[in-house]
Parts: sequence; C-alpha cells; structure tokens
Amino acid sequence: MSYRLEDLFRLVQKPGRYTGGEVNSVVKDKGKVNIRFAFCFPDLYEVGMSHLGMKILYGLYNREPDIWCERVFMPDTDMERLMRENGIKLFGIESREPIDRFDIIGFTLQYELSYTAVLNMLDLAGLPLYSRERDSSYPLVIAGGPCVSNPEPIADFFDLFVLGEGEDASLELFELYRKHKAGGYDKEEFLRDAARIEGVYVPSFYNVSYKDDGTIASITPKNGAPAKVRKRIVEDLDSAYYPDRFVVPFIDIVHDRAMSEVFRGCIRGCRFCQAGFIYRPVREKSPGVIDAQSRALCENTGYEEFSLSSLSTSDYSRIEELLEKLLGWAEERQTNISLPSLRVDGFSEELAARLNILRRSGLTFAPEAGTQRLRDAINKNLSEDEILKTAQKAFSAGWTSVKLYFMIGLPTETLEDVGGIADLSQKIVDCFYKNPDRPKGKGVNVSVSVACFVPKPFTPFQWEPQDTMTELEEKQRHLRDLIKTRKITLRCHDPATSSLEGVLARGDRRLCAILEEVFRRGGRRDAWSEHFSLQTWLDAMKDLGVDPGFYANRRRGYDEILPWDHLDYGVTKKYLIRENQLAHQSRTTPNCRISCSGCGAAVWGKGVCTE
Amino acid sequence: MRAVRIRFKKIENAKYISHLDLTRTMARAVRRAGIPLWYTEGFNRHPYITFASPLSLGFESLCESMDIRLVEDMPMDELVRRLNSVLPAGLEVIKAGEPVMKPKEIAFAAYRIAFQNSGFADFKENIREFLSRQSIEALKKTKKGDLKNVDLKPALKNAAVRVDDRSVVIEVVLPCGGKDTISPNLLCSAINDFLNEKSGTEQKLFCNIVRVNLLNGEGVPFK
Ligand code: SF4
Repeated sequence: MSYRLEDLFRLVQKPGRYTGGEVNSVVKDKGKVNIRFAFCFPDLYEVGMSHLGMKILYGLYNREPDIWCERVFMPDTDMERLMRENGIKLFGIESREPIDRFDIIGFTLQYELSYTAVLNMLDLAGLPLYSRERDSSYPLVIAGGPCVSNPEPIADFFDLFVLGEGEDASLELFELYRKHKAGGYDKEEFLRDAARIEGVYVPSFYNVSYKDDGTIASITPKNGAPAKVRKRIVEDLDSAYYPDRFVVPFIDIVHDRAMSEVFRGCIRGCRFCQAGFIYRPVREKSPGVIDAQSRALCENTGYEEFSLSSLSTSDYSRIEELLEKLLGWAEERQTNISLPSLRVDGFSEELAARLNILRRSGLTFAPEAGTQRLRDAINKNLSEDEILKTAQKAFSAGWTSVKLYFMIGLPTETLEDVGGIADLSQKIVDCFYKNPDRPKGKGVNVSVSVACFVPKPFTPFQWEPQDTMTELEEKQRHLRDLIKTRKITLRCHDPATSSLEGVLARGDRRLCAILEEVFRRGGRRDAWSEHFSLQTWLDAMKDLGVDPGFYANRRRGYDEILPWDHLDYGVTKKYLIRENQLAHQSRTTPNCRISCSGCGAAVWGKGVCTE
Repeated sequence: MRAVRIRFKKIENAKYISHLDLTRTMARAVRRAGIPLWYTEGFNRHPYITFASPLSLGFESLCESMDIRLVEDMPMDELVRRLNSVLPAGLEVIKAGEPVMKPKEIAFAAYRIAFQNSGFADFKENIREFLSRQSIEALKKTKKGDLKNVDLKPALKNAAVRVDDRSVVIEVVLPCGGKDTISPNLLCSAINDFLNEKSGTEQKLFCNIVRVNLLNGEGVPFK
C-alpha cells in the first residue's frame, strides 16, 4: 500500500514547506497555459523562499498569461525518503503535479555546494541527469545565477545557461519556445536558435580540448554559437519589472520580510568578492520608485518589516533622501526598515537614531583582513581608525558587543596578517575599557568570525592558488593561540567546505563525472553541514583520477585558457590582470564613484559608468 | 480601544499551519486588510493577537477563536469582509463581535474524527470491537515529559459512531484546556495500534480530525 502525496504531508516535519496555498502564490488553470515552468531552488524551502531573485522571476514569469511558473525546492530527508518509497516524483508546489511533465525546468545556482542537490532534484523528478540523455520529449533544463559565471563543473547536466540578469533573456527564451512548440518542438533545433539570444550559453555547442599538462588547449564553438557569450544586464532598473507582491510563507523562513532592491552591482571592487565584479556596472533605482515599490509590497504582503537590499546599501547615492521618504509612512504603520550590510558611519546621528540602526542590527564590521597592508591588497577600504571610532561611539551609546568578519587564506597573506586579526579584536576590547562612558558593570563581547577565502572566476584573484586545508588549519591554530581573552569569541569556518568550493568554483567540465559519482555515492545535500562529507568527494576524485589540487591550489598563468574564458561578464581580463598585479603590490584602486578604473563594464553605457 | 473576538474556520490546506505560524499569518492578514490593530506598548511593539485554544498541526476546525484590539472602531461586518478578502484559502472568518466568555473558561472540545480505510483488513469491525472494550488505555505525555496512563473509555461513553462504506466517523467530546486535556491523537494512535496488532502490520491509519466546537465547563458553547 503506498501513500499519496497528501498523505505525506501528515508524516513529515514542517508540511508548510510542501503544501503551497500561501497568500500571493499563483495558481492558474493548467488547461489555459502554454508553458509550464518549474523554478527550482536546490535547497530547503526556508532558504529558497528567502531569495529575492526567485521572487522577481516568479512574478515576472507569472505575469505572462500563458506561462505558469511554479516553485520547487529540495525536500528535506524525511520527505525525500517518503517520496522515493512511494514513487512520488518531484512536484511543483502550486499544482502538486510532477515536473517531468513541465516544459521548462529552471534552476538557480547560488553556491557550488548545491550542485549535488541539483542532481538529486533531477533524479527525484525522474529525469536522466545528463543533457545528452534527454531528448525532445523531456523538459528543457536550464539554469542561471552567480555560479553560472563558471558553470563548467555542472555543464553536462544542463541544456543551456542564462548569463547575468535573467529578466530579459528569459522572456526572449520563452518567446522562442512558444514558436518552436507551435511548430513541433525539437530540442536540438531549439538550442541552435536559443544560442543566438544574447546571454544564452549552450554548453554542448562548445568543444573543450586539453593539453598534456591538464590545462585547456582550446574552447571551440560549433552550430553557429558565438565565440564569447556575454552576460545580460537590466539596463534601467526604474522601468524594469519588480513584483508588487511576494508569496507570504506560512512557516518561518530565513528572511521573512519584504525586500526592496535599491541597486545592482557594487562600486567598491573588493578583490576577493565575485559579486563585486560579475554584477557590474552599478545601476541605481530612484528613491521615488523604491518608495512606491516598498509600499506596495508591504500593503500586499502585510509584512511588518522590509529591507533595502543590495550588495552595500549605504553606498546608495541618495540614501538619506530615500530613508526620509520611507520613514514618512513606515513609522506610522509600525513597519520596520531593516538595513543589512550597513556602514554604521554613513548616517547623520538623527537618522541613525530614527532608524535605530544600532539596536536593530547590532554593531557589525567586515574588515576581512587583520592588517592595513592586507586590506590594501584586497582593496577593502576600511581603516582601523574608522572601526575604532565607530566602536567608541557605540560603546558610549551603551553597546557591549561587536561582531567582526574576517577571512584567512587571502592572497599575499602572512602569519603576521593572521595575527592582525587578534590584534584588531584586542584593540576593540581595549577601546571598550578605555572608554569613560562605557556601560558600567558590564563586560564587552567581541565576536570574531573567520571564513576561508575561495578564489572565484572573474575576480582579480582568479589565478591565485587557494590555501590547502593544512595551511588553513595551521593559520586557524595560529590565530586561536594568539587570542588570550575570553572577551573575544572566535568562530572559524570549516576549511573542508571551502576547499571543495575552491575545486568547484574554478573547475572545468571534467568535474561533471565527479559530481555524478558523488551523487551516486549518496552526496545529496553538501550545502548543509550535517550532510557534507569531504571524504566522499576525495574518494570519488581519487577513484576517477582527478587531482583536486590542480583546480584549487595551483597558481595559473595569466596566459592560461581558463574554463570560463568563453564567457564575458563585461570586466576584461586586462583589467583583472592589472588588479591582480596591484594586489601583489598592496596598492588600492578607487571605487567607481571616485574614478573609473576602466574595468570594461562601460560597454553597456549604463549606470555609474555614465555618471 | 475595542476588544473584538473573531471566530474562524481552519480547514483544508490551512490545517498544516502550526499554531505558532498561525499567529504570524493572522497578524499579516490583519495588516493587509487595513484593520486598525492595537499594538502593545514598550520596547518591542507587536500586534496584540491572542488565540483561545491552540489547535494541533493537522487538525481542521470550525470553531477557532482569536481576540484582537482595535484602536478605532469599525463595523464588524466590514471587518469580516475585509479579512476574508485577504486570508489564505482554508482560513475563513465566520463572525466577529464582543467577547463574552474568557478563554480560560474553555473546558471541553467536540471533535469529529473520520478514519479512512487505508488498507486494513476488517477495518470497520475492528474499530467497533476496539470501541466496545471495557477500558481503553492510552499513554499520554505529561507537561514534564513523563508518560501517564489515561483511560479514554469515560470520554468515549457519549461518543457517536457512524459507519458508512468508506469510513468510520466518531464524534466525541474531550477535555480541553489545562492538564487534563486529551488530544484526539491519543485515541487515533490507540486505534491505529490496535488495528496493527490485529492484522500484524505496521501501517499508518490516516484520520481527519475536525474540532467542531469549544465548550465551557457546563457544556455551553464558547462565545
Ligand atoms: S567601467 Fe569604470 S565606472 Fe564602470 S563599472 Fe567599470 S570601473 Fe566602474
């Protein structure tokens, strides 16, 4: 006797992850739609539902009367077991129908560790994993998201990728799909036409050959595919689609609030940060547009909180003007404005008080590196002086805890730089006790979080060797030894996950076989620490004769063909080489607003490049 | 400021909304409806919403009750209409008005439990046999976490049992509120265990539980 899907809801933890029926979720008459689209997020509902990009595309696609876009998330282990036991295939939340009957399955690739979850979801949907094994009778399987800047390790599983911001390209793709569907859909023919759409990358149309030393000899396009595929951007955010409603989940999710996007891109160019390069150029929305969109979202969702979202919200050029507008109605409606990734020093005291900035988010700094020398090398523009001054202010205002974010394993880093993390943390502790206005009778807590650096494509560090696990562990031990006081709480990330990310981030197509092998050996949820097993990966690589060090720990030459060289994100290699050289001289580069450093993103002639 | 008691159904898909999640869901619905809700004073202001009696995840109900306070008065039928236009499917306001009783007065709840035959042999006969036993023992978890034996027989004495082709339906009033609360889940798992014992299986017996009424100590419906 097997159970039906509805029965499973009674047997699993948090059925609200699977039942649908949330306010603002979209249910259409399936007899009246032409394209069924499954938007897959390869992680739990709580994580995927917090993601702004998915909300934008869900609204955009469903605005098309003949498209029904449904949400699909990775089921938790209990649900997956029951689904497999009862022969229930992966389904769209809205219709509860299996997605193997849909027209298009689209994944968003946000982090490398989600790749095994992608394979698991394809498998749960009952689809063959490899693109070449799926003929025209199967749904088209596509992906977008930041990892698509180097999709090679997962390229063989997808029919096509959409590079950059997906809004316009996916609508063009749907238009093409309509035509092909009307004339009898043939996958190969469709892909040939799709490859002509700017931003669409069809991996099977590129032959990759390798040299004896394992590096790439050539990447050759065929079937009329372009030699370089350029990412897409939304040129004008003011007129671009933005949802006026979000699906309001029943269960608690990671970011359970409305979100207003204030700009895309980042002016700063921190050399370790991929987002700072692949989303260039900075394009802002006007305060009036953000204000109207925020208001509509809050009214249609009932959310009691909304956040201003971007890579670095205090860099918004009209932040005070915007906040004045927003506070005008938000205070009266008991609606909180949350400002993630905020530079506390960027505000007038009055505004800071009204926003209750400190009370809300606590005091958080991301110096990333412990010494000024290394902060210059990574182009992180935050001085010790600024940090200490702000901390001083916060302590005077009654604050007793500070959070600091650092990385180890950065290029050019020495043990002295690592020690700098302990020094800076200690200086903040001292700053508290030297402060005559400090809260009496209380201690200070400085919480220090240390991540491991992973070199990423399209950054100035794309050629750099990543520290090995032993080196990272050594540096962590060194740091731990240097921290003498219990007022500092040190939390170090697990070097094992970063090491694997390091392999996948700059990997090539030969890793597809590894991914499949790890999946076959039970790898399903590597992004969830309790399910992550580095050993499974190392064993699979060993058995298939792949050396992880080749991908992660090797210095590449500037002239080496990189696996993502046929993809174009605007920033030029020439610029990235220059930035890499400056890093090795510990020299900084000014941000886009101070002066343009000619990164290449000006080809679009939009945003900050034209200011 | 005016206190308002809102009576609503929680059925179908909405039965999967946990009690904790319901608070948030209702607070947001009230905001969407533009109802002038009163917020608690103080450091961490939040909307004042309280529920009379929490409902377990997976139960449907025709008699849920929630109290809010309004900062400005408004016609009750308009409040009902506005809320219903923004609530998710499965949550439906029946009426709103002045609270009469205190939620503390709730002493019993009436349930309708429908068992679907999910493949047990002699399903109906066995349920009948089970219900006709002299005593029906079940293990109940106390607040402290220990297990305690309770006899369900007294509560089942007045239960109405209906059997049709496809299901067995039991209508029963159980103590609700305070430490004597008996969850209908206790009865269901006792029946499930009995059926498995009889047929030598380890199957799950699915049942649909609907709370149909809340009652005070005298058996008067909660108002
Ligand atoms: S072209 Fe200049 S202004 Fe434009 S993103 Fe690049 S560095 Fe910034």
